[in-house]
Amino acid sequence: MDARRHPEGMNPADQASEKEQIVRARAGDAEAWGELYRQYAPAIFRFCRRVMPTREDSEDATMDIFIKVRQKLSQYDSSRSFSAWLYTVAANHCWDLLRRRKGRQDLETGEIENMPLEHPDPGQLEQLIERHTSQEVRRALDKLPARARMALVLRYYADMSYDDVAATLGVRRAFVGVVLLRARHQLREVLGERGASSPPRRAAGGAT
Amino acid sequence: MIHFDEMACLLYLEGQLDPPREREMALHIGECDACRALLRALERESRVLAAALTEDNEPMPARLLSTRGWGMPSWVWTLAFGVFAAGAYWLWTDSIDPWLQQLSNAGFGGTDLISMLLFSGAFWEGWGNMIDALQIAAVVIVAIVAIGLLRRRFRRSTTVAALMSGLVLTLALPRPASATEVRRDESVLVPASQVIHSDLIVSGGSVRIEGTVEGDVIAFTGMLTVTGHVTGDIIAFAGQMRMEGTVDGNIRVISHTVTIDGPVGKNVAFIGNTFDLTQKGQVGGSLITVNGDADVDGRIHRDVLGMIGRTHLDGGIGGQMWLRGRNLTIGPTAEIGGPAIFRGFRQPIVASGAKLASPLRVERQEESRRLIFSAIRILVHEIVSFGAALLLGVLLVTVLPGFFRATLRETARIGLPIGVGALALIAGFFLLVLGVLLILVGVGAGLAGVLGYAPIVYVAQVFVGAWLGNRVLGEASNTTGAIIGRIALGLLMLHAVALIPVLGELVWLAVALWGTGAILLGFYRMSRPEPAPLSA
Repeated sequence: MDARRHPEGMNPADQASEKEQIVRARAGDAEAWGELYRQYAPAIFRFCRRVMPTREDSEDATMDIFIKVRQKLSQYDSSRSFSAWLYTVAANHCWDLLRRRKGRQDLETGEIENMPLEHPDPGQLEQLIERHTSQEVRRALDKLPARARMALVLRYYADMSYDDVAATLGVRRAFVGVVLLRARHQLREVLGERGASSPPRRAAGGAT
Repeated sequence: MIHFDEMACLLYLEGQLDPPREREMALHIGECDACRALLRALERESRVLAAALTEDNEPMPARLLSTRGWGMPSWVWTLAFGVFAAGAYWLWTDSIDPWLQQLSNAGFGGTDLISMLLFSGAFWEGWGNMIDALQIAAVVIVAIVAIGLLRRRFRRSTTVAALMSGLVLTLALPRPASATEVRRDESVLVPASQVIHSDLIVSGGSVRIEGTVEGDVIAFTGMLTVTGHVTGDIIAFAGQMRMEGTVDGNIRVISHTVTIDGPVGKNVAFIGNTFDLTQKGQVGGSLITVNGDADVDGRIHRDVLGMIGRTHLDGGIGGQMWLRGRNLTIGPTAEIGGPAIFRGFRQPIVASGAKLASPLRVERQEESRRLIFSAIRILVHEIVSFGAALLLGVLLVTVLPGFFRATLRETARIGLPIGVGALALIAGFFLLVLGVLLILVGVGAGLAGVLGYAPIVYVAQVFVGAWLGNRVLGEASNTTGAIIGRIALGLLMLHAVALIPVLGELVWLAVALWGTGAILLGFYRMSRPEPAPLSA
């Protein structure tokens, strides 16, 4: 588990102090809250940056998420992982925004279409992956439909369980795998076709 | 051999298969190179994905770095509102409340200040014009807020606190004047034999000054009578005021009735219902007034600038006259030394004996009696103003997209911008009252106010409209066309509501408060440090 994404995955002493911070923040201690914010804000900002279309949107979303988190802190069940809970709040917030903004057609929240069931050639797949830098992969991700992108980020960035992904995206749990695999196929398609050559969407999206 | 499909491989990799199927798959992989290779490729893809997603390629924006950025600590608001409330409370207990009590003693009958001013039946309908003046005054506040917020060095907390303290200070200023005599009693009398060698601040059910005051008189009273001599100004909130003595300075008064039956050295400013300048009365300077009924029999040596419901002029005006109102009667003994302009509903009546330096210029406002015509006019007005607002919206979206977005985001917070807008308006009201009485807002300031404040109130509708449009059609994507479409829809709704008599006005008041607050907050957001430039 990546320490940057999940700061609490470090050592037990840190975990204990974090638990204490949460308790204090819940009681209204601004300093403890500030500490939590400093610790998690970068990860949540990066999460939003991956999911939201523009940098500005991500900044706003990050702020709003933490305002929400602070208000909801009393509802946090301390037996759960704090970062997992945080990501759930963040994911719900962003997904809500995206859904409200785009209307349905873009998000393809309709029926899951037929999956290509043929085996991809493993050698070709590895080659495709090898050829591209992380940045190119990110650019390709930006070109995916919102739900596909969201699913990949929830699973491979936020390390969400299939149950949580299903709850966030509002699909049945059995479909999570299908959504993920379909998203991967779409990603491969983008990488294979125009991948690195076309300009990144974000630059055009305008972080004005 | 039957291979597993890619779906099964992915689920296996992610540990999502049920145990029997997982065991089956594990066995199969041991024997099948093809499936093993696929698994390996998928796993590699997972790792690349996770790495790409996690990798840091841009810095945290500055506005997120500061923990203060995302939420105002509640104590700042508490402090700001506390200071404001304290100021309001001070003003209330020390000035307004006793004054109101005295007003009710004076026969105004228990109504509160606002309803007395705005809804008093005897009052002139021209109070609509006063509302404009309120807006003008509010611009002063807006300007202060904007300047304060635009200064990056100050954080919002500091600004709000400083602003509020400044406001309270302004309110508190007129009180602790040096060498001031303060009197407070049910009824205050300065007898004829007495000379007060300082300013006099006085409050009481009735105040009578028969002696001499060598300074200003500031009075809060039901009935103010001056038969003596005041060498400075008279500033008064009074139920009625009667001046039979001599005032060397100015008279500035908010009152139901004012009668001036003696000489005033400088200017008279009056807001109220009835103004009476008797034959013995004289004003050395100009008269500036908003009132319902004016009877001028005495002489005003300089100009008259007024919004007066009914004016009866038998006396003289040395300078020019600029009047707005309903009726104007100029009697045979009247004289006007300069140009005279009257703007109103009825044709003024000018007696043949009146001596006018130049013919009276009349700008008549058509009082349309035909309902249909007026309805059409209102509709056309609404359509035109809708078009203008839309144009403004288009301009904002295209020319100042950053500001537009920031302000729209603030609009969506609903509560905060309405609060800020209301605060600005309330502060503006206080300043107006003080401004009229103590500083006397000049024409220049008024013009500046219209130029500065009116656009903000006008632009307010664009943001509320955009917000409404977003509610109805869903939030706009980045295309300008979609945003403009939403603004158009929202504005259309607002302007349609405006056609409904009472509800429309209430809605527009809310829109003005809300949008104004959002714009102020938008200014503030724009003034914050820009995030670090994109590195990727």
